[in-house]
Amino acid sequence: MNSEHKMPSIWKILVLLLTMSFLMVASVSAQDVAVGQATATVQTPLTVTAIAALAFGTIFQGVPVSVAETDASAGIFTMTGQAGSGISLFLQLPEYMSTASGDDRMIISFSTTDCAIDTTANADPTTFGSGWTAQNPFNLPSGVIIGTASTQTSLFLGGQVLPSVDQTAGAYSADIILTVAYNGT
Amino acid sequence: MKKKFRIPIGVNSQQSLWGFFIILLLLTAPVSQVVAGVIVAPSVVVLDDKSKTGRMNLQNPSNSPKEVSISFSYGIPESDSLGNVNIFLRDTGITDPHSALGWVKAFPRKLIIPANGSQVVRFIAHPPKDLQDGEYWVRVVVESQEGITSIPVATDEEQITTQLNMIMRTAVMLKYRTGELVASVKLKDTQVIVNENDVDVFVDLANTGNVSYIGLLECQLLDADKKVISKNHIQLALYKDLLRRITLPFAEGNFKKPYSVAVSVTNKGRKDIPTSEMVFGNDLSTSISLVE
Repeated sequence: MNSEHKMPSIWKILVLLLTMSFLMVASVSAQDVAVGQATATVQTPLTVTAIAALAFGTIFQGVPVSVAETDASAGIFTMTGQAGSGISLFLQLPEYMSTASGDDRMIISFSTTDCAIDTTANADPTTFGSGWTAQNPFNLPSGVIIGTASTQTSLFLGGQVLPSVDQTAGAYSADIILTVAYNGT
Repeated sequence: MKKKFRIPIGVNSQQSLWGFFIILLLLTAPVSQVVAGVIVAPSVVVLDDKSKTGRMNLQNPSNSPKEVSISFSYGIPESDSLGNVNIFLRDTGITDPHSALGWVKAFPRKLIIPANGSQVVRFIAHPPKDLQDGEYWVRVVVESQEGITSIPVATDEEQITTQLNMIMRTAVMLKYRTGELVASVKLKDTQVIVNENDVDVFVDLANTGNVSYIGLLECQLLDADKKVISKNHIQLALYKDLLRRITLPFAEGNFKKPYSVAVSVTNKGRKDIPTSEMVFGNDLSTSISLVE
């Protein structure tokens, strides 16, 4: 009996705490908003974010591993800024990955269809929205814009690693650099 | 015989409710921990010959420190024969006399911004003597990556693991202005290509001033009664000559032929750049009739 009476209060606490947590999130988001009577021009900054690194998982000697740009393991960059603004994108891609000591290298390659650019709010490579598919990462398309509805554009990147049969076991690393600039300023 | 299962109301149900609550909190937690790169503002930095200094704000909205480095490159919007625009960043071999590469410095050039922190980067210009009136350009390249990166260790001695560091660069225009500033644009040529479902308008522009012409290019597809069939506009940043393409679709409707395309160029109405940083110049307009 007691437990049945406690149920409504538990639900009330649950609802109250949930509402508070969402209000906290909303208040955090609202901290950038200034209230006043002055008018001002707001320049939307261009922000590049690396959501996920291109991940090949565990690799074995002599067994190439490929990740498609539509794979869940694809690398993901997102660009946010002023909706509809033209941007230029440029990727700098490595030709090999190396061990921390630099005593061995492993080839990494990118095909001419290893990149996709999605101008919707989607940042999931497996559920492409709209934009450019199967693009050359060494020559990204012109005319890319920040998504008009989402104020976001995502870039998905696939690739392939080619370990040799006598590849030294261990950890290899390399850099992938994405440069973004507004076209209209 | 089917058995009906009923969740008992009591201590167990309270536990399950609290469990549900904790899971829900865990699910909602990522909402407040959005992964983000470094925010760079403003999107254009303007220096002048009076103060020769400027500043840029870098903000790290993430919950991990960000390693940031500042460098300079030269790059202005350039177009190809199809009206596509790209910015190619160059560090060497720059022949443009309007390049400010080499005489603008940033302080600091390398920094680590703590989680949810911000940092001001200051710029100072040391222009050469006898610099002609006008505007000089350089791109500030803000490079950021996670402050702490670690390569995953292979669990097996025979295994290979990889770590690709995803490095983000934002290239922001820095303009140094000196003397009398003139913004001026000239229309070199306008061409229209009629396709099955749309019209491609090619607008060839020349910058005839001594500053970049920042404005808007708008095209309208009109019918014989000047009713707008479709329209489109793009933000224009004209540093040298530039060919821009705008596509106008044929919309369904009761439109009378012959059609025409109205082209207008203005550097008024840019809401993303403060008026104080704009150099206003001439406007242009022209009209092209579509050949049947």
